[in-house]
Amino acid sequence: MTTLRNQGAAALPALRRFSRSTTMTLLCVVVAGYVGLGIASSGSFLEGPSVRTFLQYLATPVLIGLAQMVALCVGQLNLAVGALGGFSACLMGVLMADHGVPAGPAIVIGVAAATLIGLLTGIFIVATQINGFIVTLGTMTILLGAQYRLSGTRTIDGYSDTLRDLGRSAPLNIPLVFLTALATAALLAAFMYRTVAGRRLLAAGGNPVAARLSGISTDRQIVLAHTVSGLLVGIAAAVATASLPGVNRSVGGDWLLPSFAAPIIGGVALTGGSVAVLGTVLAAFVMRLIDSARAQFSLDPSWVNFLIGVVVLGTVVGGRIHQTRIERKITAPGGTSSAQPRGAARPAAALPSTKGAR
Amino acid sequence: MKTAVKPPGSDTARPTDGARPAHRLPFWVNQQLGLLVLIVVLAAVFGTLRPAFFNERLVLFPLLRDVSTLTVVALAQMVVLSIGHMNLAVGRMAAFGAFFAGFGYDRLGLPLVLGLVLCLVAGAAVGALTGWIIARTGVNSFVVTLAMDFALLGLVPLLYSACTENAAFTTRPAGLAELRSSSLADICLGPVCGSPAVPQVAQFTVLALAGLAFLYYRTRTGRELLLTGANPAAAELSGIPTGRRVVLAHALSGTLAALAGFMAAVGTGTFRASIGDDFMLPSFLGAVLGGTLLTGGAVSVVGALLGTTLVGVIRKGLDLLGVGLESLNIYLGCVLLLALSADRVRTVVSYRKVVRST
Amino acid sequence: MSDVLLECDSIVKVFPGVRALDGVGLTMTAGSVHALLGENGAGKSTLIKVITGVHTPDDGRLLRRGEEIHLRSPLDATRAGIGVVHQERNLIPGFSVAENITLQNPPSRRGLVDRDAMTAPAERCLAELGLDLDPHRPVRELSVAQQQLVEIAKALYTESQVLLLDEPTASLSPQEAEHLFDVVRRLKERGTCVVFVSHKLEEVFAICDTVTVLRDGRSVLESAPLSDYVQDDVVTLMVGRQHSVTDMTPRTVDPTARPALSLSGLNTAAGHRDVSLDIRPGEIVGLYGLVGAGRSELVKAVLGLDRVTGGEIRVDGEPARIRSPREALHTYGIGYLTENRKEEGVFLEQPIVRNITVTVWKKLARFLGDISSRAEKDVAQDLVDRLGIRVSGLAQNAGELSGGNQQKVSLAKWLAAETRLLVVDEPTVGVDVRTKHAFHELIWELARGGLPILLISSDLTEMITLADRVLVMADHRIRGEVPNDHDYDNMSGQIIRIIHDRAHPAAAASNGTP
Repeated sequence: MTTLRNQGAAALPALRRFSRSTTMTLLCVVVAGYVGLGIASSGSFLEGPSVRTFLQYLATPVLIGLAQMVALCVGQLNLAVGALGGFSACLMGVLMADHGVPAGPAIVIGVAAATLIGLLTGIFIVATQINGFIVTLGTMTILLGAQYRLSGTRTIDGYSDTLRDLGRSAPLNIPLVFLTALATAALLAAFMYRTVAGRRLLAAGGNPVAARLSGISTDRQIVLAHTVSGLLVGIAAAVATASLPGVNRSVGGDWLLPSFAAPIIGGVALTGGSVAVLGTVLAAFVMRLIDSARAQFSLDPSWVNFLIGVVVLGTVVGGRIHQTRIERKITAPGGTSSAQPRGAARPAAALPSTKGAR
Repeated sequence: MKTAVKPPGSDTARPTDGARPAHRLPFWVNQQLGLLVLIVVLAAVFGTLRPAFFNERLVLFPLLRDVSTLTVVALAQMVVLSIGHMNLAVGRMAAFGAFFAGFGYDRLGLPLVLGLVLCLVAGAAVGALTGWIIARTGVNSFVVTLAMDFALLGLVPLLYSACTENAAFTTRPAGLAELRSSSLADICLGPVCGSPAVPQVAQFTVLALAGLAFLYYRTRTGRELLLTGANPAAAELSGIPTGRRVVLAHALSGTLAALAGFMAAVGTGTFRASIGDDFMLPSFLGAVLGGTLLTGGAVSVVGALLGTTLVGVIRKGLDLLGVGLESLNIYLGCVLLLALSADRVRTVVSYRKVVRST
Repeated sequence: MSDVLLECDSIVKVFPGVRALDGVGLTMTAGSVHALLGENGAGKSTLIKVITGVHTPDDGRLLRRGEEIHLRSPLDATRAGIGVVHQERNLIPGFSVAENITLQNPPSRRGLVDRDAMTAPAERCLAELGLDLDPHRPVRELSVAQQQLVEIAKALYTESQVLLLDEPTASLSPQEAEHLFDVVRRLKERGTCVVFVSHKLEEVFAICDTVTVLRDGRSVLESAPLSDYVQDDVVTLMVGRQHSVTDMTPRTVDPTARPALSLSGLNTAAGHRDVSLDIRPGEIVGLYGLVGAGRSELVKAVLGLDRVTGGEIRVDGEPARIRSPREALHTYGIGYLTENRKEEGVFLEQPIVRNITVTVWKKLARFLGDISSRAEKDVAQDLVDRLGIRVSGLAQNAGELSGGNQQKVSLAKWLAAETRLLVVDEPTVGVDVRTKHAFHELIWELARGGLPILLISSDLTEMITLADRVLVMADHRIRGEVPNDHDYDNMSGQIIRIIHDRAHPAAAASNGTP
């Protein structure tokens, strides 16, 4: 669970920590996988058009993974990622196609709507103290209905060509949408690691009681996390609208599972307090690599989901085994445990902690 | 500490913990009763506005068939919720089970009952595997069932494409068609026949309800499941085999999911991979509306039936009123959030009352 | 200097079912170290939480320099110059030391965290405590003692006029504690008021000037000069006269009887080395030690929750391999009344009847595991009556009971199972005085009935009241055994000497890390 933090502070220990982190492992997997695919395709995979397609379809997974990660880092789950994305994508499409709104304002309205819905979700959770899982389940249902109402059974494709061109343009074979996703990730990383607001968010996720005692309102952080999550979903929707041939009611339908898979593979704990922007981005890379490999060897598309499931399971189980081994190493020598305070982590480690997500 | 009062409606010192068991509330705010009243009132309203609502063959029969299936789905979720876990893979476990039923009929030429048994065993096996992973590694059930969902999402279509040409089993053993379309009207005791509104598949639902009610309200195992959910550490120290109970709960959940998959397949007449695609939302809706806690330790078997029925009635009624499919979800989401908010308000009010009286 | 910085005036704080504070007063003067004493559950931590804005009092006033203030949040308290080190760990595990220290008021420029500006003040606070720690290290990599010191550094950073330390030395070595006391003395000279909460009376008498003693949610001694009292007076005030060492009906133990439980040379993965003890029928064996000595961990290893790496466990003379608490209960008849009542003892959100009968369902179950609710109720009602548990009904949730009654419910389940050996771990923590006494009598009577009991307690009075002999544990080893003569002064002297004889060298060995 070692996430990337403190870079640049004390170079050597930080580097050592990084070398053992999930992010590092993922980086190796991505490089190895990419090279492997390159060899398997006898080089054609490393050529411009292939790279372009590879990156084109990477933008959305990265963004929705990050959107989920922000919610996870305060210990919340956001089930509405897909529905919210689909809703705002359809909203943008309808605004442009049916109401003649120019592309720019339409995108802004769509993203703002997603952010606002995120904000309202957060406020609702804090005000009622109902489990975030259930609340986002509710908003997901509502948004699915709203999306359907907007689009009906048609596919909206009569919108701005400029936007489409932007969505398809790829200077140096690097698609603009992918750059957008990377820029968003970089901004999010800066927010999380550098700003006071981001640190407060993480503090509230890491130890809510301590955060409260230090004058950080955990309620406000939950609202903030859902708002940022909404914003990121909005951006993902904008990217989808720009790069897809058209939007319909199925947009966002298959976003939910990947949005969880990316941060979990990337090393984000469901209990909150950890953040791994780079890890999430790399995990999205890994999932995209699986998809590309599938296409390369022309296997059934179902293999992708199966493999992602196995990878997620392998990551969490492997991570847990690793953690138990570390704990055992710490507690094994008799002397070190003399300073254990009452009830410090020991009973929890000794007993199966099988409580579900909160 | 000397004024240790024990008012009837008190809560623990954690007012922020979401829903609460219903049995401490006075009877007139009893959740089940509330649901029942709501269902009756809504049915009356819809019936008055659209007399066709009470058409037994065309409206009530399909409504009850859906409700029967979805109740079993909600029960599958309720069983894991009772130990404080979640099962995100209910739908996929249903598809997995249904595959084996179809396989049995198509390839092995099994009679109706044996195919059902094969289906249930497959569901139990995949559920038990999930439970075993959770119990052994202590990884959050949310993540494990999420990974399981992914894996089955890939595996089931692969199995279908490996065993069939057109990705579905259409062989129907003797009795399946009758099961699909017959109602109680086809069962006569002398001159008295049953209502044509009640489908015959409901027998499975009734069996599942009765079995679970016996399990949770009468038996040692049921109580142990609940206590494992309420406090796993205390349960372990009290001599409850919590690991085995976790496996059992997930195996039961898998079995029920597979049963629901079978019922859904009977409803459509074909065994295909898309069975159970839309099970996740109703599974939580039914269980949570019925009064089952997400935190574990409290279930309501009848509540799952009532919650699902309420959702079914609203769906059907609004459909008849011409609200249109697209908006249905909007209302359902609102109902969920409102129902839970109301419960939350009650909790806060009773908490305040207790503090004041101390 | 009699400059009053902060004053509490008849503070009342009510939790559901409990009046945690019932008219407490506390006067904090500049340039003094104020001891806040009381037994577990007397209300010290609650009072601290009221002073630091975590809880709002239900009645009473807080006065800062004579003016009434209302603290709505911990931030308000910090702004009013009140700093605190709480008993619970309050660090963000993923953050660096420096960031944790400056958490309350992180140095920033235009909303961006200024990490460089964070390091200097953090280093200053760490240096003041004589702590050589890299401020960039994540807190999760630190030892418990280091984390404790970081928390104190965090409190120093806010430069408060009033600083509350709740059990700051619980996990510190004597040297580290001495460093802390130097800091406390320095702060006092600077005109700060330090409120010091500790169970270790030696420390209190070494550094404190004034004392307030809480008992049962009330102040029995309010802001009095400490020099007027000796340790015994304070102890008497804390425990109240009625339940200092009480005499009970005599009870005899047959020293030749076969031990019900016998450990010989036990080593565990938790770090116990060469632990041997015998418990005979009808005997109460006390296992005394400071927090962290490894007493509960020993029991958990015996129950199969942690690995036993060497030595032998014998139950009724037969060698036993216990793999789980379930086996301990059903095969060997060992019950464990945990110290951690809320987390491991009772099921707060479950009815009392289930809480009590959980251990006997196996016996009550008939065909298909069916349990008759009548049989279940009979078992529970019988125990509720026997233990005098005050309930409104068996269907009531255990979480609605007072601490003492919850503890009785927790005990009842082991009595229901008719265990052949009972381990009782800190049975009266957070239990009010009357229930405490009743509990002591109950344990005594159980032993008189022939039940062997292993009593774990940090409460010396309790130990001397109940135990037949006291084993002293420190650092996961048994350091000595004292037969109980029920004379408090003699016993406490002997026991403290055993602990102290070895605390210093071991502390030096195990705390060389920073």
